[in-house]
Amino acid sequence: MGLVQNVVFGLVQGSYIAIAAIGFTMIYGIVNMINFAYGEYLTIGAFVGILAAGVLPLPVAALVAMVGGGIASIVLAKLFFTPINETGPVPMLLTSIGLGLVLRNVIRLGAGRGARYYDTQSATYEFTGIPELPVGSVDLLGNFFVTSRMLVVVACAVAVFVILHALLTRTDVGIAMRAMSDSEDLARVRGIDTQMIRNSVWILAGVLAGLAGVLLGIQTNVSVTTGFSQILQILAAAILGGAGSPYGAIAGSYVIGLVVALSTAFLPPDMTGLSSAVAFLVLIVVLLVKPSGIAGQEVREA
Amino acid sequence: MVGRWYLSQKSNGYSVMVPRNTNTVDRRTFLKLTGGSGLAATAGCIGLGGDSGGPIVLGQPAALTGQWDFLQPGVSAATDAAIESINDAGGPLDREVELQRRDTAVSPQEARTVVTQLVENDDAVALLGLFSSELNPLFDFIQEQETPVVTPWPGSNFLDTRGGDKGSPDDLSDDGWIWRTVISDTVHTAGAALRALDQDHETVGVINGNTEGARSWADGFINAYEANGGTVTERVEVSQGSSSYQSALDRLFGNDFSAFAVSLPLEDAITLMSDWADGNYGRQPILSDPLAQQDLVDQVGDPLNGAWAASPGESGPNYSAFESAYEADAEINAWTPPAWDATVVTALAIERAGEATPDAIEQNLGPVSRGGGTEVATFQEGKEALNNDEEINYQGAATDVSFTNFGNVVGSVVINEVQDGGFTQVETISAGELREFVPEGEY
Repeated sequence: MGLVQNVVFGLVQGSYIAIAAIGFTMIYGIVNMINFAYGEYLTIGAFVGILAAGVLPLPVAALVAMVGGGIASIVLAKLFFTPINETGPVPMLLTSIGLGLVLRNVIRLGAGRGARYYDTQSATYEFTGIPELPVGSVDLLGNFFVTSRMLVVVACAVAVFVILHALLTRTDVGIAMRAMSDSEDLARVRGIDTQMIRNSVWILAGVLAGLAGVLLGIQTNVSVTTGFSQILQILAAAILGGAGSPYGAIAGSYVIGLVVALSTAFLPPDMTGLSSAVAFLVLIVVLLVKPSGIAGQEVREA
Repeated sequence: MVGRWYLSQKSNGYSVMVPRNTNTVDRRTFLKLTGGSGLAATAGCIGLGGDSGGPIVLGQPAALTGQWDFLQPGVSAATDAAIESINDAGGPLDREVELQRRDTAVSPQEARTVVTQLVENDDAVALLGLFSSELNPLFDFIQEQETPVVTPWPGSNFLDTRGGDKGSPDDLSDDGWIWRTVISDTVHTAGAALRALDQDHETVGVINGNTEGARSWADGFINAYEANGGTVTERVEVSQGSSSYQSALDRLFGNDFSAFAVSLPLEDAITLMSDWADGNYGRQPILSDPLAQQDLVDQVGDPLNGAWAASPGESGPNYSAFESAYEADAEINAWTPPAWDATVVTALAIERAGEATPDAIEQNLGPVSRGGGTEVATFQEGKEALNNDEEINYQGAATDVSFTNFGNVVGSVVINEVQDGGFTQVETISAGELREFVPEGEY
């Protein structure tokens, strides 16, 4: 078992989670709610993407899915969350759980049973001849491979990180988002249109969910559970990183991805099916030691 | 004023017509109607609904949604075809059979609710469904219902010694209330193990999901394989629903073996086998029986050529009777003919019992399926023979449906191999060859 190979797998898995977790945690930071329906946003993105891929090249279809995700997100927010903005995080949390359930069943009714698949090809690049560095049963180096699909996922994640960083540090909207995340009242006093910023966050989160949905759909399949099956890992990554912090969510996502990959590789044989549980164990331990998560922003009321 | 009639009440299948005349319901009419309704309701409350002369309700917990839903259309169509043929033949006890199908999504929690609804609300006298993943955790609950479950689905070896009437049809105290018309994993995994050894695969790796059904197949395969001299070098269990299985594959293929067995639901298996193809891991894939699906070949592509699955055979003594009645477009899979058998044998049990109650059906499933008597291929033949005071022995479509004392059947296993972009049947292992792997007292 090669450590390098499993680190590669962990980084790829972390990239899937990170793209989605950024949107999830920004909703928490700005709107102050945990959106349990967020998994369904990924599913919507995956379905929009696969429909678009039927008539458009895949990269264009992915862009369509991102736009579709953004539109779906803002429409759902206007219908279900904006009217109860002032009720606090708990009613909004409960609303999101209900909305997720409704969306899942609506998608199931509309899309029917059975999975759909993107028509993609993947090339494999093998790196051989790398010397071994065994420590016990673990090889710290060794041969490894990557696929073009993995590279696309990591590249998309890196692009998202760069664009997000530029958005948050170089644009008025991004700076306003950070200000509002710190204190909505102070931001309003400074003349920031807080509702416009909330809308921007909903759209941004939807766009990221659309992209994550397409990437997940390419890797697995497109079905009613495409996003729902990932929501716990997304939530764990966001909380681990420090709820509300996009940078923390990125760090948390890679920790979760690496822990899942490495625990699958190195746990005793009878426990390999528990790799996801190990990721949550890490979450609990980190929160016990540092309740504010990796990036230092404490979980608030919700 | 012109009175109109409308349905006033429906309780346990009874409906009463009352005049819609808002001004003039006289006292006598009122007492007749309320008295009749009360009697009907009381009859339902004391459990007379299933044997009261109206339609006989059979329940079908079904995978209309969920990870196994791709297998349900064929099973639903076979059940519907069987019920149509039974009703065309006059129905058991000259009564119509009605099917109530409800979705469990193969979730134990939902299955518990659905079974309760079917038994308590729908007055189903027998249930024609439930998977291993539902039956195993709900086993004690099923016993409490005291309603026979005649199911085409479960392969779990957990049920090998738990169902049936234990060879004493009249004594319900030792009954397991579960009868399956599909062969156990113990049988067809033995077929897979035999073929692996025949192909000189002395060592294998195993990768399976973490649900009861996926584990059961892997357990059965490993038991049969090791019992016949093979060695399992590594077994890796994975969480289902993962976005990638590369780490698990890397771990598995870090070991020395010539073939590897895969037991996962179809969608997870497509992800895993695509990862396997991407990683160029090679070696011989052995697939669990639910994976003999065209979708797997279409999505994984050429690397899957040569992979094979050992599936329950679809060629019982009277497969043609099923085939001629089955007109649906839904693809026939390994569970489709067993669904036909489950419905027909249950109807025959009702006919032999002379009453449509759960206890009577439980007591007659064994007698209509095993031992001597006139061999019958359809419900119509069975009904005629029973009306002539003959004992019968139902010979089914998937197997001969000779229920063992534990409610199991033994049948042939077919090997389907991926060739030129599709599964092709390449070999049949007879029930006789497999019988030695299933000792009489343990199956």
